[in-house]
Amino acid sequence: MSEHDALLLELKNISVAVEDKTLFSGLDLDLRSGEIIAVCAPSGYGKTSLLRAIAGLSDFASGEVLLRGKTPFETGWPCYRRRVVLLDQKPVLFDMSVRENLSRVFNYKSASNAFDESRAIELLYRLGMNEDVLDKNARSLSVGEQQRVCLVRALIIDPQVLLMDEPSSALDEKSESKLEELIRFEASSRKLAALVVTHKSTQAERFADKKLNLETLNLSPCASDCVCPDGRTQ
Amino acid sequence: MNNMLSQGAMHLDAFDIAIAALLVLVAGVVSLVLKLGLERRLLLASIRTVVQLFLIGYVLRYVFRFENLPLVLAVVTLMVLAAARASVRRSSRKYSGVYFNSFIILVLSGMLTSYSVTGVIIGVDPWYKTQYMIPLLGMILGNSLTGISLTLDYLLESLSERRNEVETELAMGATKWEAARAPLADAVRRGMIPVINSMMVVGIVSLPGMMTGQILQGADPVQAVRYQIVVMFMIAAATSGGCMGIALLTYKKLFNARHQLDYRLIEKR
Repeated sequence: MSEHDALLLELKNISVAVEDKTLFSGLDLDLRSGEIIAVCAPSGYGKTSLLRAIAGLSDFASGEVLLRGKTPFETGWPCYRRRVVLLDQKPVLFDMSVRENLSRVFNYKSASNAFDESRAIELLYRLGMNEDVLDKNARSLSVGEQQRVCLVRALIIDPQVLLMDEPSSALDEKSESKLEELIRFEASSRKLAALVVTHKSTQAERFADKKLNLETLNLSPCASDCVCPDGRTQ
Repeated sequence: MNNMLSQGAMHLDAFDIAIAALLVLVAGVVSLVLKLGLERRLLLASIRTVVQLFLIGYVLRYVFRFENLPLVLAVVTLMVLAAARASVRRSSRKYSGVYFNSFIILVLSGMLTSYSVTGVIIGVDPWYKTQYMIPLLGMILGNSLTGISLTLDYLLESLSERRNEVETELAMGATKWEAARAPLADAVRRGMIPVINSMMVVGIVSLPGMMTGQILQGADPVQAVRYQIVVMFMIAAATSGGCMGIALLTYKKLFNARHQLDYRLIEKR
């Protein structure tokens, strides 16, 4: 990622509130293509609420978000969400095969590309799974496997921005490392930008370019001595 | 019982009703002996049946004397209001404006269907002739409110309990309609189950009350069947209209222009 990479997502003077309680306000943030920013803060500071609001599943208390200079309203909400995809912490898959779960998201009107199974298989391999999983019922998989399938589902859409909420919360160390490698690879090869909520300071260090501290709204480059504000380390 | 009328209809007096009540009394005694604890509820239900039906009987006798549109409208409004209230109260969740939505749906589906039958199929003049309009509307409302309450209950439960599935679809680029379609379709199907079931077994397992009543009154069974078919179709149309209508109005209320599910609008009782 360099400063010359295109500006993708702009957050302007954002405030987030939950049930009339303001969690933070005055957040400005630019996310460029290929850039990975880790979002850190202790529990209850609105990390998940921020991602949900950027994805447009809930509203900001104030402020606006622009994707390539356009509001989601101008882009159209479904098309906007196709480009700015939210990957929830808790994997949500439907009671059908993994293949059907993956192809389902190409039935929407906003889908501009068709389901590419070979791309899905490639992503599954990169995450340490194989194509046999495609025929299994998605709900019969372990939580860790479901989390990885959800990531594959998000990536085959080919989004410009990926919003990840604790993406490796159910993964072992090896799978976590494969996930990080994949995100870095997608960032460099496809110019995917990502906002990653993580409690793991080492994870922020390993693969984020910058770290946003929601407590102070301070954005800083990731350095080896970076510690998330909740003080947790892995 | 030697009270057969010349036209073939049966006239029932208080004594006949008392004999029928004896059958319920037997059930109550059995419950008492076996300590089932049903007797009090059975007694209350029997008393309510007698009081409520006599009450509506006398009201209808009064209303039938006048073919007066404002009077018919007043009775119809009361019936629809009661049905709207009952349909929402049976659901375990609600949202602000749900009574109004249910009322509007019942007015539209009830009036359209009953007009189709009285004004077009039977050709009653005037179409709001109380002798036809009120009993038909009663049947329509009774069935529609069951369908509406089942649809509403299932849809609100589904959108609350499976909110993450709906939001996952939205997050992947589904429109609000694409994300809501499965829960909406499931809820409408749920609401239609009683009507579809009764249509499936009618004439095999059960003989509907209206048809039975006509036959007991001496009508030709085939003619009674024709009436019953019209009534079944009328009920099916009204109930499906009610189920779809309440599902669509609920969808319109809970999904906003930003293609979000505003789940906070759903209140649990």
